[in-house]
Amino acid sequence: MKMYSNEGRQILVCCGTGCQANGSLQVFDAIQEQIQSLDDVEVKTFAKSTGCNGWCEQGPLVKILPDDITYCQVKVDDVPAIIDKTIKNNEVIERLLYRNPASKKRVKSPHLELDFYQKQKKIALRNIGEIDPASIEDYIDRDGYKALEKAFSMSAEQIITEVTKSGLRGRGGGGFPAGLKWQSCAKQSSTPHYIICNGDEGDPGAFMDRSIMEGDPHTVIEGMVICALATGASNGFIYVRDEYALALKNLNLALIDARKRSFLGENIMGQGFAFDIEVVRGGGAFVCGEETALIASIEGKIGEPRDKYVFPAEKGLWGQPTVINNVETWANIPVIINEGADKFASIGTENSKGTKVFSLVGKVVNTGLVEVPMGTTLREIIFAIGGGILKGRQFKAVQTGGPSGGCIPAELLDLPVDFDTLKEVGSMMGSGGLIVMDERTCMVEVARYYLNFLAGESCGKCVPCREGIRHMQEILTRICEGKGQISDLELLEEIAETVKIAALCGLGKTAANPVLSTLRYFRDEYLAHIEEHRCPAGVCRDLTEFYIDKEKCTGCGICIKNCPVDAIYGEKKEAHTINVEKCIACGSCIDTCRFDAVRIR
Amino acid sequence: MKIIIDGRDVDVEYGETLLTAAKRAGIKIPTLCHNEAFEGQGRCRLCMVEVERGSMKNTVASCTYPITGEIKVSTSTPLIEKMRKNIVMLLYKQAPGSQLIQDMYKEYGCVDNSLEENNADERCILCNLCVLACREMGSSAISLIMRGTDKQVATPYNEAAEVCLGCGACAEICPTNAIKVIEKDGQRIIWNKVFNLVNCQRCGKPFATREQLGYIAAPGKDISTQSLCESCRRKSAAEKIQGFM
Repeated sequence: MKMYSNEGRQILVCCGTGCQANGSLQVFDAIQEQIQSLDDVEVKTFAKSTGCNGWCEQGPLVKILPDDITYCQVKVDDVPAIIDKTIKNNEVIERLLYRNPASKKRVKSPHLELDFYQKQKKIALRNIGEIDPASIEDYIDRDGYKALEKAFSMSAEQIITEVTKSGLRGRGGGGFPAGLKWQSCAKQSSTPHYIICNGDEGDPGAFMDRSIMEGDPHTVIEGMVICALATGASNGFIYVRDEYALALKNLNLALIDARKRSFLGENIMGQGFAFDIEVVRGGGAFVCGEETALIASIEGKIGEPRDKYVFPAEKGLWGQPTVINNVETWANIPVIINEGADKFASIGTENSKGTKVFSLVGKVVNTGLVEVPMGTTLREIIFAIGGGILKGRQFKAVQTGGPSGGCIPAELLDLPVDFDTLKEVGSMMGSGGLIVMDERTCMVEVARYYLNFLAGESCGKCVPCREGIRHMQEILTRICEGKGQISDLELLEEIAETVKIAALCGLGKTAANPVLSTLRYFRDEYLAHIEEHRCPAGVCRDLTEFYIDKEKCTGCGICIKNCPVDAIYGEKKEAHTINVEKCIACGSCIDTCRFDAVRIR
Repeated sequence: MKIIIDGRDVDVEYGETLLTAAKRAGIKIPTLCHNEAFEGQGRCRLCMVEVERGSMKNTVASCTYPITGEIKVSTSTPLIEKMRKNIVMLLYKQAPGSQLIQDMYKEYGCVDNSLEENNADERCILCNLCVLACREMGSSAISLIMRGTDKQVATPYNEAAEVCLGCGACAEICPTNAIKVIEKDGQRIIWNKVFNLVNCQRCGKPFATREQLGYIAAPGKDISTQSLCESCRRKSAAEKIQGFM
């Protein structure tokens, strides 16, 4: 231990939103309190609360450096043991280590030993989980604001050329080349110019931008200041949805610290350049993630998009040239400037450079936040990094791109993921949500769910989106209720095509994707609902009948215990029976049965 | 500069919208949410046309598309017609009570389908022209509220709006006659607000609300001095001119 005695020891407690929900703040407080009594230990110990480590499934995570020990699912009660054994006596607590289900061995340093970390490449997330987001020193220690310093030694054109050469495309969904956007804004003669960070992440199940804003707010700020320098902008805005309380808190704190250190303000780094940023809180409308709606919202108007025949780079906020990029795009900028465009462009595929952060959720073993090079296959993300499907079930589809993305089936698992490949298969990158679905997911119901979401979140401005969604939702609902007609499919496709061409904004144009992609890859399931009045996944209640396979049932009684309507009967250790009259087809029995004895008729 | 619309050379000004240019050239493009008094909105999407610019081909809303280069425009292709037909069908489901929409439903050859229709008396297509007209009048008594499929036009909290003048500009501009204005016994009821009408001093016909006349009168001036209805005002002006001659 002696070799570390001058540097001290660090205890990093993941305080990302997922870990916080599992009590990581209490764990952090307990550690803080208990290390006060460590005077007798020769090594000084610090505790830090960090942003999201990404391995949300195993949170709260506690990482001890330089020993490189990661403890999983830590509770307040575990803290005394961590202090006594690990900190005081350098002992590893086996029971708190992750147990690799494949090798059955305990893993001390998961980032060295597990595919979950090994297959990732962190650029946008480089600092998250390693630094205390509330500490500007932590950020500076990891090369923070070095890119800005370097940018001051470059001309505006050089900065823009570097970003263009890197091949960085907008991470918010559109995939528009960032360099082009900057260039287009820079050459506008009308002043002032504005910079906006789009942090209005609203896709169900997505938390990439949230984690960056919470876990590494300074990288966003640094990226924006560099852009301001390149485009001659005077003011910046970070638009964050109001539900992201921690992101708002950390960003505001970071802005104050950045001003104190002259990374923002009247005379940035003593170079006579003035630029400042303010945080704008969004009102919770999903459509405000669309850039023109977001701009309208900052202006105090109704959050409705406008036709983008003139881009915001020419006429944006208050009619002035505006660069608007997504949080993750901003987080890449300091790395591109620091390490050069060529290095960044060496990662990824031909037309999609760099990495992409995905929030991996749904029926996958390792739920969490992952960053992989563009071009990584879905199989690698879901099975190598994600650890495969929960409960050993069959993979059925993965939904990418948020509510207006599409569902990709198993036969396309080897698809290398980038902006263009996803589009080709009828989905999209979106902001990077990856929702994994297993055999117990009904694809018609999935389409209905997303249309339901969009019906509430469309701004309602243009007819095809507003009315088209309303009627697609109507048709999907009746198919799920067993009242669908075969002619409904044609009608559905007809409306979907019109919505796709005619809708005003990106949200509308892609709103039909859930319908079109499920119809394309899972038409059989639609047909089963309509023609056979059967939901193959056993999800649509009106079309589902469960029964118990007498051969497989061991009579363990777990289904009886879980049935909310007492519809299952049978003696212990004898095969059970479901009373179809009473059954509400909620699926508790099939989800809890360990012997695969509950079947769908 | 020149562009080509449906095979015809059309003179245009840089930056003007495609719809404006087409209209001037006598080329008809259907639209429901556009009025020359206001900038294009791009809401109804009926005015979408195909634009070729170099090798790029796009479908754009002509009411918001600014002409900035040489383009070739097709206002009616099979794709466009099919899309318009579907939009009219969707509008009919939304506002089956509107005569205009009913006529268009027939004109576009829409066929009845199983989709749900709104109440038979619903006429609003949410084109927002009423809101723009009200704002132009200086009141902003109505606005679009809610979003998605719940979107509607309303006064704040659906109550009688303090700033509403009862001028009826909203009803006047509405393409589908969706705004109810009831006039009887010297009163006008609009947007849940009851207004007393002022009688024309010449013909005695009730013609405008007190609030409306107060709004346009010079400060401190009595509204009664100018209380002439539109046709009497014209007559009076003509008489004055004749008096001079």
